[in-house]
Amino acid sequence: MIAATGPHIDVEALSPLLALTGGGLVVLLVGLLRPRVVREVLVPLLALASLAAALGLAIWQWDADEEIIAGALRVDTLALAFTAFVIVAAAITVLLSWRAVAPREAAHGEYYAMLLVSAAGMSVLVQAQNLVSLFIGFELLSVPLYVLCASEMRRSSSLEAGLKYLIIGSVGSATLLYGLALIYGATGRTDFAAIADALNSVGGPVSDPLFLTGLALSVVGLAFKVSVAPFHQWTPDAYEGAPTPVTAFMATATKVAALGVIIRFFDVALINAQPDWAPALAALATITIVVGNVGAIGQTSVKRLLAWSSVAQAGYMLAGIVVGTQHGIEAVAFYLAAYLVMNMAAFAVVVARARETGLGDAIEALEGIGQSKPLLAWPMTIAMLGLAGIPGTAGFIGKFFLIDGAVDGDYAWLGIVIVVGSAVSLVYYLKVVAAMWMRPAPRSVPVLAGGAVDDPPADAPAGPRAAGGEVTLVAVGCAAGPVVFGVLPGPLFDIARDAAAAMSHLF
Amino acid sequence: MSIEWYLVVSAMIFCIGAGGVITRRSPLVTLLCLELMLNAGNLALIAFSRMWGNAEGQVFAIIVMVVAACEVCVGLGVIVAMYRRRLPIDVDDMRELHG
Repeated sequence: MIAATGPHIDVEALSPLLALTGGGLVVLLVGLLRPRVVREVLVPLLALASLAAALGLAIWQWDADEEIIAGALRVDTLALAFTAFVIVAAAITVLLSWRAVAPREAAHGEYYAMLLVSAAGMSVLVQAQNLVSLFIGFELLSVPLYVLCASEMRRSSSLEAGLKYLIIGSVGSATLLYGLALIYGATGRTDFAAIADALNSVGGPVSDPLFLTGLALSVVGLAFKVSVAPFHQWTPDAYEGAPTPVTAFMATATKVAALGVIIRFFDVALINAQPDWAPALAALATITIVVGNVGAIGQTSVKRLLAWSSVAQAGYMLAGIVVGTQHGIEAVAFYLAAYLVMNMAAFAVVVARARETGLGDAIEALEGIGQSKPLLAWPMTIAMLGLAGIPGTAGFIGKFFLIDGAVDGDYAWLGIVIVVGSAVSLVYYLKVVAAMWMRPAPRSVPVLAGGAVDDPPADAPAGPRAAGGEVTLVAVGCAAGPVVFGVLPGPLFDIARDAAAAMSHLF
Repeated sequence: MSIEWYLVVSAMIFCIGAGGVITRRSPLVTLLCLELMLNAGNLALIAFSRMWGNAEGQVFAIIVMVVAACEVCVGLGVIVAMYRRRLPIDVDDMRELHG
């Protein structure tokens, strides 16, 4: 009889992931305790602690470059940098959820545990080195997000968003799975390095119809998750219906993870088939930039506007992957970090104004806050200008790198599309800025007698209440990011360069 | 029997599933069709696993079954929550969010 020997488990390299999953379990169990203070204060604090631990462990492992668990996952600077981005996004989401309705309705333990598990799934996804771990990461990310979307169970639009996201997300996963199955059929292997070898032995563009069908289906599956047009229709609905902190998490962390896995999948496993997929991805990026920017123009809800803008931003970032160079990946990593802080600042302001005015996420809620709430108006202004790519912000430098990368990789026309798209995007970003600074506060803002209610009952309608210091703190802190990195891009650029260095087989 | 037949069947199941997701109005049937799509992937994986003579495809297929079960659990949970709130259980009537 042969004794089965399990794969060697490198606990150190696995530690950030263990901290996230372990934290999820602890939070889930502590959430069962009776005292209210435990559920409302200790649980989010524990979630923050496990995120901080995971971030610390990821930084501690920074120089690692190894395959773990029999080649299922790869821990390198790319994976660790993207994991760190996801963790930062999750920590900000915990702060935004602190006094939100969603955790109270869904029970605090479950809500924060789902958040941590989803972050763990994203971490698996960016470390995936195998078709199986890619799929597991994909689902581990998605399934908790479906639940989180539907977590405000008393609001029908939240349930609707959850169900829509679930159905469309599952169609994406099923399509991705079929594509992965066909790629496995064409190459006979599931790990990325072996697939790359199998494709390399063909030489030149791969013309196997089985492989090309699989490639097309997996592009479609991944496009659903990054919300690349024409697979983006779920995005505005899911973003609008989901609780705003969850929307913020979906808009930033999901994008980090999905773009991370696209880099891994296309630039490691399928790099030898680049002539096959690069034109297709370039076409998708162009469509996405056009559709996202045009779709955002007529929106009156800030969440929908940010959803359409996130579609367009995904198109910009896809351009950095199309070229298949280290330079492109560097640009994507830099832009993702900038995009993350800018979007978080914008969503924090949306959360704050939705609580203060009871107008929800309509643009009217932002009118006139330039005079009355400069601490909210400035972060939103910086976020909008940064997303549009105004010089002096990290958004400008990120776009500059992306265009530079596209031109470098012989996709100069894609750079031109990015420039035109950014010019169009000013229409809707400046609309938000104008609403804040140039219009008076609306008279119709409902103000309840007695002002802010500290602790409304769980089923209270969304009436005016205090925004909470932590939300303002997130807004100001995240808005500082684009300005600091816009003036001194050095530190962030070093991280991006480290991340791209993990792809040393590229130029 | 050659591998092509398995692939033809799996492709047909995938298309039936995809067609059902697009045309059916009940979320329950939609979930059923999603299962068809995932299981079409499983069938292809197992056929390829036989063809290449390695177990990687079978391992993948078993994991996919677990994942599919999780997805359906969450989907049914959301549908039950909607039913309790007396919301229309019909994807065409979900019009609160649009655009």
